[in-house]
Amino acid sequence: MKLAPVDYVILATYFAMVLGIGWMLRKKVSTSGDFLLSGRAVPVWITSLAFIAANLGAQELIGMAASGAKYGIMTAHFYWVGAIPAMVFMGLFMMPFYYGSKARSVPEYLKMRFDEKTRGFNAFTFAVMTIFSSGISMYALGLLLHLVLGWDFSTSVLATAVIVLAYTYLGGLTSAIYNEVLQFFLIVAGFAPLAILSCAKAGGWHGIVSRLPSNMTHSWSHMGSASQNPMGVELFGMVAGLGFVLSFGYWCTNFLVVQRAMAADSMSAARRTPLIGAIPKMFLPFVVILPGIAAVALAQVAGPGGAHLYELPLKLSGGVWVKDYDQVLTTLMAKFYPAGILGVGLTGLMASFMSGMAGNVTAFNTVFTYDIYQAYIRKGAPDQHYLKVGKMTTIVGVALSIGAAYLAGYYNNIMDILQFVFGFVNAPLFATFLLGMFWKKATANGAFSGLVTGTVAAALTWGLTVAEGKGGVFGHVHEFPSVMAQNFWIAIFAFTSCFLVTVLVSLVTARRQESELEGLVYGLTKIRRDENAKWYERPVVLAVFVLVLAVILNVWFA
Amino acid sequence: MLDLRVPSGWFFTLLGVILVGMGVFAPGYRTAPLTGINVNLYAGLAMLVFGLFLLLMARLAAGKTR
Repeated sequence: MKLAPVDYVILATYFAMVLGIGWMLRKKVSTSGDFLLSGRAVPVWITSLAFIAANLGAQELIGMAASGAKYGIMTAHFYWVGAIPAMVFMGLFMMPFYYGSKARSVPEYLKMRFDEKTRGFNAFTFAVMTIFSSGISMYALGLLLHLVLGWDFSTSVLATAVIVLAYTYLGGLTSAIYNEVLQFFLIVAGFAPLAILSCAKAGGWHGIVSRLPSNMTHSWSHMGSASQNPMGVELFGMVAGLGFVLSFGYWCTNFLVVQRAMAADSMSAARRTPLIGAIPKMFLPFVVILPGIAAVALAQVAGPGGAHLYELPLKLSGGVWVKDYDQVLTTLMAKFYPAGILGVGLTGLMASFMSGMAGNVTAFNTVFTYDIYQAYIRKGAPDQHYLKVGKMTTIVGVALSIGAAYLAGYYNNIMDILQFVFGFVNAPLFATFLLGMFWKKATANGAFSGLVTGTVAAALTWGLTVAEGKGGVFGHVHEFPSVMAQNFWIAIFAFTSCFLVTVLVSLVTARRQESELEGLVYGLTKIRRDENAKWYERPVVLAVFVLVLAVILNVWFA
Repeated sequence: MLDLRVPSGWFFTLLGVILVGMGVFAPGYRTAPLTGINVNLYAGLAMLVFGLFLLLMARLAAGKTR
């Protein structure tokens, strides 16, 4: 792919823009709360878009197009079965406790509801996870830019990291959130034309359906058994594993996204954040997945010269040529975009990378400052001290992510495993939150032992099962039809064991006074009903609207 | 607090102007291997409209609070 001067102009304008927003917001930062929590003063439309943009990293963008080409429309399950119900649950039922408890982070909520060790466990795993996710996505982007544009790996990684550092250091979370919204717009502007052009070239949706096997274009019809659908997952594993455990675990307990809702300016706005975010979220598959599906169809259309219009990219793996789905998105851009819009698409890719990285870095510095530094290293210092620590942590977080990116380059296999592990590390956590928020008898020791058991259960399931020739480090008890199915079932086991152990241990350990749990647990908390709110501003109305739309989409593409 | 609609409005207006300019004045860049239509022109117009819409919304909001 070759860039014209105009593409560089667009890219430079965007860089100037994000730095400019950081610069304009620098004066708003005078306390650690301003820097790490945005002073809880961000308008709801901004938090809603940031809520979904923080999750829309470069890996997500590249990965969704890749999965579209590999699994077809079933990939949309990650949105229509996974994210949407979880976001609705989060807004309706969990946000009142997060926002109402005045906790500054997800680990801090665990400290208020349970105890110090539960918080410490969560804070530490979360901090490690954010650094590695940010490093892995940095590596993925650097590799892609090198492959596609021939840019130097180190230069592109360092340059983008420095820009992210500059604007998050200047304006803190507010700057990260504001830029995430701009980045979200840019991702849509850069990739929606690709979806339209590629789909039109393949003969529209009907043209795609007529060219592809039926299980690539129907999301539910082939879910009866694992062998019938390209993902290799059966109905129960999909609905319980992805739809319930993994998605609720991610969207309801991952501080990276929860932090965006917590920055909203009122309880009502915090509850509406995931609900409003769900509306654009459910249409994102048409922008990020559809090009991948269209690519497979285009690879079967003969062009004027007899050759196919498009060929799926290949890579050499272990001496054999295999399909390189990760390059589907960029090769499509090269085929469909002339200079100009190509610059916008490339800038969109950079924007997604930056929003993902800034999301990780701002979540990391908050958890480190409040839940590790303030809790274990230095208690009771003046706020200015924590502001300084927060700013320093931002620099350290970016530096550590760069380190993780290079580590990913040297030890590819370790990174594969880590990425897989991160996929289900949140799974037991959701059981802890579910019981903590909705069952007042759950105790601190119950939660901690459940969390540890759930994590061990996840590791054991992974170590004892094999899928696609991988895993089975400790033995070979069961074989899954696909890695995806294995991942979903690990989550189901982790969740169930955490749930059971938490309940059992809670029944035999000492409970806390009910008066101490006010504002933290359902039934002991007054949830303010917004009687004065206009009908369309009520969370329940929004939730029903979102769910009806999601059902329509599921049925439409069933 | 900074109204985000102002900087992002200007940004998309500028992008729109650049792309429309490319679509009108740079015939060499009107097509790509698989694209026959003038995608720069249409995408540019859409971005221009979106940018101006954000600026208009910001202007209306500023008028209300004054």
